[in-house]
Amino acid sequence: MQRIYFTILRAFFFLTWIGIAVAQPLEEEDLARAYGDKATVSIATGSRGDLRRAPAVATVITAEEIKAMGATDLDEVVETVPGVHVSHIPAFYTPTYGFRGIYSNPANSQVLLLQNGISVNSIYRSDKGQSWGGLPLENIARIEIIRGPGSALYGADAFAGVINIITKTAADTPGTEFGVRGGSFNTRNAWVQHGGKLGEVNVAAYLRVGSTNGSKEIISADAATRLDKLFGTHASLAPGAVSTGHDDVDASLDLGYGKWRLRAGYKLRNMELGAGMTSALDPVGKEKSERITTDVSWNDPQFARNWGLGFIGSYLQYSEDATNYNMYPPGARFPTGIFPNGMIGSPGRWERQARVSGYATYSGFANHSLRLGLGHEDLDLYKVRTRKNFLLNTAGIPVPTGAVIDYSSIQPHLLPHRRTNDYYYAQDEWNFARDWMLTAGLRRDSFSDFGATTNPRLALVWDASLDLTAKLLYGQAFRAPSVLEQYGVNPVANGNPNLKPERIRTQEAALSWQPLKETQVNLSLFHYTMKDTIRAVPNAVAGTGSTYANSGKQNGHGAELELVWDVSRTLRLTGNIAWQRSKDEATDTDVGYVPHQHVYARADLHFAGNWLLSPQINWVADRKRAFGDARPELSDYTSVDMTLRTERDKGRWGFAVSIRNLFNAVILEPTLAPGTAIPNDLPQPGRSFYLQATRSY
Amino acid sequence: MAIQTANSWRAAAWRGVTAVLRGVAVCWRTALRCVVGLTLVAAAAALPPTRGIAIIYPEVGEPYRSVFASIIEGIEEQIGSHVPSIAIGANPIPKEIAGELRRQNIRVVIALGRNGLKLAVGLERDIGVVAGGVLSIPEAEARNISVLSLAPAPGLLFARLQIFMPAAKRIFVVYDPKQNAWLMRLAKEAANARGLELVSYEASDLKSALRIYQDLFATADPRRDALWLPQDSSTVDEVSVLPLVLHEAWAHNLAFFSSSVAHVRRGALFSLYPNNVEIGHRLANLALGQMASNGQAGRGVMPLKELLLAVNVRTASHLGINLSDRQNFDLVFPEQ
Repeated sequence: MQRIYFTILRAFFFLTWIGIAVAQPLEEEDLARAYGDKATVSIATGSRGDLRRAPAVATVITAEEIKAMGATDLDEVVETVPGVHVSHIPAFYTPTYGFRGIYSNPANSQVLLLQNGISVNSIYRSDKGQSWGGLPLENIARIEIIRGPGSALYGADAFAGVINIITKTAADTPGTEFGVRGGSFNTRNAWVQHGGKLGEVNVAAYLRVGSTNGSKEIISADAATRLDKLFGTHASLAPGAVSTGHDDVDASLDLGYGKWRLRAGYKLRNMELGAGMTSALDPVGKEKSERITTDVSWNDPQFARNWGLGFIGSYLQYSEDATNYNMYPPGARFPTGIFPNGMIGSPGRWERQARVSGYATYSGFANHSLRLGLGHEDLDLYKVRTRKNFLLNTAGIPVPTGAVIDYSSIQPHLLPHRRTNDYYYAQDEWNFARDWMLTAGLRRDSFSDFGATTNPRLALVWDASLDLTAKLLYGQAFRAPSVLEQYGVNPVANGNPNLKPERIRTQEAALSWQPLKETQVNLSLFHYTMKDTIRAVPNAVAGTGSTYANSGKQNGHGAELELVWDVSRTLRLTGNIAWQRSKDEATDTDVGYVPHQHVYARADLHFAGNWLLSPQINWVADRKRAFGDARPELSDYTSVDMTLRTERDKGRWGFAVSIRNLFNAVILEPTLAPGTAIPNDLPQPGRSFYLQATRSY
Repeated sequence: MAIQTANSWRAAAWRGVTAVLRGVAVCWRTALRCVVGLTLVAAAAALPPTRGIAIIYPEVGEPYRSVFASIIEGIEEQIGSHVPSIAIGANPIPKEIAGELRRQNIRVVIALGRNGLKLAVGLERDIGVVAGGVLSIPEAEARNISVLSLAPAPGLLFARLQIFMPAAKRIFVVYDPKQNAWLMRLAKEAANARGLELVSYEASDLKSALRIYQDLFATADPRRDALWLPQDSSTVDEVSVLPLVLHEAWAHNLAFFSSSVAHVRRGALFSLYPNNVEIGHRLANLALGQMASNGQAGRGVMPLKELLLAVNVRTASHLGINLSDRQNFDLVFPEQ
């Protein structure tokens, strides 16, 4: 193996040398002098971005960088961000994004996912949805990822981090592009996107269909294995393959007319169950999730002298509709009886979210830049369906009831719930002295169910020299209790309508340094304290299950170091190292699951004939077990990916070949403590290959 | 009762808003189909080409390809119809292109980029040429054609400087006369018209330019002086001159602005950079003017007035400049 690494290293340096030796075409010289380098020209010719000095530790990943890293899904981009690790949970193999040691499973509720600044989180679990099924990247102009709290601007769930996905506008996609991609696991995708004008209207449209069988990794033992051992049955399908296939449709439309913009999005997923809804292998169950989004906005940054104004109205319709989860396989036995046809459930949930908000900016006070905003949210999980062939007894143990029937009125898995929120916020950027800026923000949210919360944000920025900027940041944030945690009906973890939001306080220090030309080094240090963490706590009466309560406390600290080095016009090196320690205060132990060390590095190497080679390496290390989990620690892993890309015929044709997990590293993501359901953790895909072709007109 | 009425009005208004948004959400798939359909129909039924005008542009990769695409979009928008365009590679065959232009009865060619211009100047003299997407050409060649340079008009740069720095009185500039003599003539006039003094230094290579910059920083008064970096490959480079200017300007609190937007990213106070669609409009008007005057319309190199504004707010803060009209900026650096 070492020899292979050395060979690759030698090849890499050879290609680097070739890359440096390649000259820029003459034709581009004038353009480079007028518009700048390729990175600048991409900004200058694309849609106008909300580029500002974020009072936060943030990473912006552009479409160019996404192409270079060969990423085809949001997960692959998020994994490259310092301090963030993408893990997976058994149900649907859904990704969960752990920010700076803050990890949650099964819901990923401490991370706010925005699309064009609007939340796409479901209120069922306060996350991006259990049958998420990935997010393709062809239609994404850039991704902004904030590590740390964002509730002072974004409200609920901007707790450990915020991911804002900015889709392409007509300016970002001139002309029409057709694309196809296929590869391992029978993965197939085709898409078309168009940017242009229809009269006075700027139009960007995108449509993509895709499907994959998913990797068939083998689980050696599952939750049914444990029952088999208890009752001497042979129901478990383990050892057996996980089911991670899905069929996808994605579409979006973006219409711009003067100061008005109308955007609409559609996302459909038909998902297989991963390692099963209850950590028992399920090759039968399916779930369809459908997300429809729309928003109408009007913005006038120069409404009057010193004033800017804008408003936005948005609507989201989201559903998760299951068909026959085989929660336990046929023949599974419980103390309450046997399920000859399997323990089957077909739950469904439907929710709609409407939002209106407005803002004003004012720059009339010397050295101040003010932003004021208010809004209203109506979040309604209005319909729940519970079809199943069992009832749960008071201890949460399923009792077989025969045929699958609708128990929605007898024992639903959840009660419908509607919540509204009125909020207002203010933020001021105060340039109080030369090279010193203080940003102070405050937002108050008043929820109809769990009450009001106020969250401040302070950022002191010092431009110490041309090359060095230092930031000190403080912020508070909250995570709203999900509807599942408030109104879930399951004795194993019953809902509690009296829950308060989870809270976090974070202090950060950040340095941004440009020690050499075209070299950027960023260092951030953080410390956070979480309280009122929502956990399922055993009820006072033994044998009656648990109920969600604000019972946890956690704190953590760490550091992240990033480097971007444009070695030459043809070679860019990007890398980061993250280190963190997080402690569960209740048990005085490591929180587990998330890596203590995480290293990522990539080289983007342009060489003769318009080729781009991008090898990348990802090292995930030192993942402890959580309290109560006696299993040995998870092994570290190093994965290497390689993407080779070229454009022919002056960019009309584009081709890319990617190899992911080139050396077939064994990658395991942790299952929940104590690890009795799936004891050997969740295996991730081995080596896989993808080919992509695009044609632009 | 009053509260109840207010509440019911509020509820009714909210129901109305949500109903509208919901309606849009539910109907959008149909709308998507219609819009995509209409777009395809519009593209298929391409408008009849305007007789007499054609575009020649170079084939380049992204992101510069988008620059030319936007300029062409602007040309067609202004003319109001499809304009035939010929993409040329690194080694075009002039005879073939000339033959194609003759076949289409082309009277004016809009030449984009260096290669487009190189080819167009070799065409028969009865075909008028309007050029864009280049920085400059030798003045002898420009006598016969209209060239819209990518160099921002000095007057507009100076006007923006005066907004940021009302106390500015002198502007220093170092330039190579072979590249920018034409621009400096215009710059001197523009400075005079605005009550500014343009102090220009000629330099033919980086070494002499560096020496001038070092002397200049020693004598400049940051309260009333500013420095302008033109697009000049003889006197500005990324390795020696730009780093020196960036560090010295920061250390001396001297405002410096640039004709290259990339320098704003590095720390220049501001720059004006091309508005590609508007460039297309201007080129179209120049071409139509040539058509109307049978090729007798204005000739020579013109600076660019179709511009957008990029500002470095970090540098502005360092210089103590209060950016009250921040919302008017088209690009703001640094990005984070």
